[in-house]
Formats: sequence, structure tokens, C-alpha cells
Amino acid sequence: MAAQTIIVRPEKLEVRGLVKRYPGRRSRPGTLAVDGIDLTVRAGELVCIVGASGCGKSTLLNIIGGLEEPTEGAATVDGHRVVGPGPDRGMVFQGYSLFPWQTVRENVEFGLKAAGVPKSRRPARVDALLTVMGLGVWADQLPRALSGGMRQRVAIARALAPEPDVLLLDEPFGALDAQTKRAMQDHLLEVWRRTRATVVMVTHDVEEAIYLSSRVYVLSSHPGRVAAEVPVPFPDDRTPRIKRTPEFGELVEQVEAILIDNR
Amino acid sequence: MPLRRNGLKIGDIEDRPDGGMGSTMVRGSGEGPHTIDWRRSLAARNARTRGRRHHPVFRIRDELSPRWRMSLTLVGLVVPLLIWLFMATSGSATVLVPSPGAALESIGRMWNDGTLTGDVWASFRRILIGYAISMAIAVVLGVLMGSFRSAESFLEAPIAFMRYVPATALVPLMLFWLGIDETPKIALIVIGSVFFNVLMVADVVRNVPKELISAAYTLGAGRLRVLRQVILPHSTPGIIDVARINLAAAWAILVVAELLAAEEGLAFRIVRAQRFRQIDDMFAILIIFGIIGVATDLSLRWFRNRAAPWARP
Ligand SMILES: Nc1ncnc2c1ncn2[C@@H]1O[C@H](COP(=O)(O)OP(=O)(O)OP(=O)(O)O)[C@@H](O)[C@H]1O
Ligand SMILES: [Mg+2]
Repeated sequence: MAAQTIIVRPEKLEVRGLVKRYPGRRSRPGTLAVDGIDLTVRAGELVCIVGASGCGKSTLLNIIGGLEEPTEGAATVDGHRVVGPGPDRGMVFQGYSLFPWQTVRENVEFGLKAAGVPKSRRPARVDALLTVMGLGVWADQLPRALSGGMRQRVAIARALAPEPDVLLLDEPFGALDAQTKRAMQDHLLEVWRRTRATVVMVTHDVEEAIYLSSRVYVLSSHPGRVAAEVPVPFPDDRTPRIKRTPEFGELVEQVEAILIDNR
Repeated sequence: MPLRRNGLKIGDIEDRPDGGMGSTMVRGSGEGPHTIDWRRSLAARNARTRGRRHHPVFRIRDELSPRWRMSLTLVGLVVPLLIWLFMATSGSATVLVPSPGAALESIGRMWNDGTLTGDVWASFRRILIGYAISMAIAVVLGVLMGSFRSAESFLEAPIAFMRYVPATALVPLMLFWLGIDETPKIALIVIGSVFFNVLMVADVVRNVPKELISAAYTLGAGRLRVLRQVILPHSTPGIIDVARINLAAAWAILVVAELLAAEEGLAFRIVRAQRFRQIDDMFAILIIFGIIGVATDLSLRWFRNRAAPWARP
């Protein structure tokens, strides 16, 4: 409740003039993956980035995460320039990236151990996260015993454990079937409302982007640039019902048109 | 699509009654009917049945019933035994082959007079020490090479070079430098296996998915934690497999070392048996080699599954 009454939300994450060129090998020219991207995300906001396959979405997210170096420009979190990965920016990857030798509980615990949280205080925090993500019963299973949707829930729980300032999601539901995906979207909204984390999510599903976010950045392809920034006028406490409203349909069409124009 | 371009509609295609099964006619607009006779086409060959299923024994990558598996395993054991029996009974004067019974008897005799335990232990101890040193070096260097491009650039060339120097060619040098006691034999086992082990461990480490390492970093892990809690656990089953596969090379080099200079050991026993023309004993030792090999292989497999149940197939 209190969070909604805050009107001026400070800028949490800024990306300025970001260029990423992958060097070529031998005589082959390099790839200009991202060419001058600017974006701003305020604290507590959930922003989506959509774009065609190969337009540089993962590259952008990896640079914000500090896993790759930009060729030009920079990302800043709270005004501090990103130079490497750190627990202040949690990430969920496009593929499954759980540690296969660790149980669900141990996976979620990983970040707490790295942060030096004493052993006695870890179980309570892990349990709380598992409950929020609906994973309680699976706590002692290995990832290979879980379905795709459950694995991504573990990945989100694991990323949330160190209480990051910014949560970066790279097509987290891309590999899921339509039904599981819908459930996961509501799950994510629920978690976001509770934690008020700043979330940047990459997806190529326009409907998903509009349903989840308060703003959608549409990227053009080859090289990746911001083609449009589309505000989403729905309230934060939205329900799946808005998907059937005409405004929602229009917005989807509008974004899809921008995507087609910038292919 | 091409139909529409020619101004034809789906309705223009009809089964021609006189064409029989599989014959289709396209009603032409100007140049007369176009007939495509599917019966002559490749697809017509399987007209009577749809697809083909081979007997399980001949299917690629398919499961086999336990009964078939057991029987084939049994055949795989019995056939070599029969060949051996045949060779033993029909052996010529120059190629003497003892019967399986004689070889077994010989094993019993060596067991009773205590030479068998002495020889097995002497050889096994050399392997144990030499191979442990080899694997320890391989894990350290392999993890470094697989994790750091700098270590890889620095170590790749010398190790690749040493790998192609046959360890057997170093036997005289080792005997010359280190004398004829245990040291040169253990050194030879290390040299004969360590370079293979290093390169293969490095390969196992390189196969740790980048995303797992990235995930660990974004969860706040430092490089040491990534090495110890991501790279090592993920590589453990692969490293045990490397140890298992290259162990045979260690035995091969041990045999050469024992042939040249030893007072005890399985290969030494073979040379002695040859000197006294005891073919039964030679065969007995060969069987012992095989048994030790299979036993270590099985125990390393078991150990791998125990150490990394998550990677069990
Ligand atoms: N490590 C790399 N080396 C060279 N080129 C790369 C590398 N990573 C990505 N690229 C190139 O950069 C471009 C953008 O890739 P990126 O993975 O960011 O796309 P994406 O938008 O995430 O695509 P998808 O939706 O399929 O995941 C592509 O053309 C790709 O070929
Ligand atoms: Mg991607």
C-alpha cells in the first residue's frame, strides 16, 4: 500500500549509450549486437524488453549483470558504474542454470552462503522463499526431478535470496508451455508486489511484456536499438482479466506493429 | 502455392477413376490434363505396410529385454572360452596353449605358495602410488588449464609435446637416472599417464556450462568459491571417468618397467615363467591382470555414481 503512494521514484538503473561489438575472427567481420541503447528503470519498477531473436536482448542483460563488458557506454545502478557481476543484480538465465548436484534448498542457499549469512539464519530465509514460490514440498529434490516450470521457479527463488536491488530475467518463461507460463507470470507479479524489487525482464512474447510491466522497451534488430518506449497504462495490481480488454489488445497490436517495422 | 499461380484451384484436382489408387489428375486449363503417377514414386514402395520394425537385437539405440541382454552377455563369455579350449586341444608344437583348467590350477598353486599375493601387492602398490601422484597433478593442472586461458596458453604446448613422447622410450633413461628400485617404476607410471590425464581433465573442466559459472558470480561468489563449489563438483564425475579410462595406460607402462628390472610383481613373474617355459603360469598371470582391471574399473564406476549421484545416467 505504502509503496503505491510514493510518487517520485528515484532512478535505480540507467543504461547510457551502450554499444556492444563482438570481434570477428580472421577475415570475418564482427557483430554489432547492440548499438547505442539508452534506458532508465526507476526503483520498484517492472520493465520489459521485447525484440526479435538475435537483436541483442541477452547481450544487454548480460552487460547490466556485469557478465560482459560493453564496447562503449555503461550501465549504472544507483549511480555506480557496473564493472562486474555482483549479488546486487540477481539474474535468471535463458536456459536452466541450476546447480544439478545441489538440492532445491541448497541451490537457493548458495547466495546466502556467498554473502556470509550464518548457517543458523539460512534455513528460515530459504524456507520463506520456497514457500513464496510454492516449492516447499520439493525442497530436498535434485533439479533433475523437477519440471521446467518448477526449475525456473527455483532459479527465481535463488536469484531473490541475496535480496538483490535489481532482478534481471532473460526469457525466464520462454521454454514453458502456455498454461505454465500464465501461472508463472502471475507468480512473478505476486512476488514483485510483495518484494517491490526492481525488475528488468527480457521476453519475445509481446502479450507477456504488456501484462507484466509498466513500460515496454521495443528493440530493433541488427543492430539492437531502442525502437520505441511504450508506457503500459494498467494498474500495478492487475489481474489476468485485463488481457481481454480492448485496450490490452490495441496495445499488443501497437507493439507488434513496431516490431514488424523494425525487423 | 504453384497451383494458385497457374490459375488452378484446389477443386481442380480430382482422383481419376481409371488411374487407380494413388493416381491424381489435375484438370488443366489449356494444355490438357497433368497426371502424376504416385505409384511409380518412391513412396509407393511401402504401400503394403507402413514403416518397418526390426528385431530388437538389430535396432539402433533401443532397449533390449533383460533376457536378451543376459543371454548375449553369457555368449560373450562362453565364446572366448570355447576358442581357448579349441586352441588348447588343437595347439601345435610351436604354439603351446595350456587348458583353462591348467591355468586355474596354476593360479591356485601361486596362491598357496604366497607368490600371488606378493606379486599382486607389489604391482598394485606401484600403481596406487604412481597413479595417485599422476591424478593429483592432473587435477591441479587440468583445473587451471580448463579455467584460465592464460594457464592453457602456457601449458598446452609442452604437455602436448610430452604426450607424444612414448613413455616406454623413457624407461632406459629412468633406470639410468633413478636406479632399479621402486622410484623409477613409480616415476614411469606418473610420466606415462599424467599428460593424458591433464589434458582430459582440462577438457572436462572446460565443459562446465558457462551459465552455471555466471549464475554463481551473480549470486555473489568469488573466483575461489566458483572453483570449489561450481567447477569442482560439476567436474567430479568426469574426472573419475578420466582416471578410469587412463588407468590401463598406467598398467601398460608398469609392465614394461617390471620386465626390465624387478624382483617382484606380476610382469616380473611372467618373465620368470617364460625363462622356465611355464606357460600355465604365464596364462595365469594374464588372467590375474584381467581380473584386477575389471575389478578396478567396476569400483571406479561405483565410486563415480556414489560421488555424483546427480550425474548418474
Ligand atoms: N559471444 C558472442 N560472440 C559473438 N557474437 C555473439 C555472442 N553473443 C551474441 N552474439 C551475437 O550478438 C547478437 C545478439 O545476440 P543475443 O544473444 O544478445 O540475442 P537475443 O536477443 O538474446 O536473442 P534470443 O531472443 O534468441 O535469445 C546475435 O547476432 C549473436 O549472434
Ligand atoms: Mg537471448
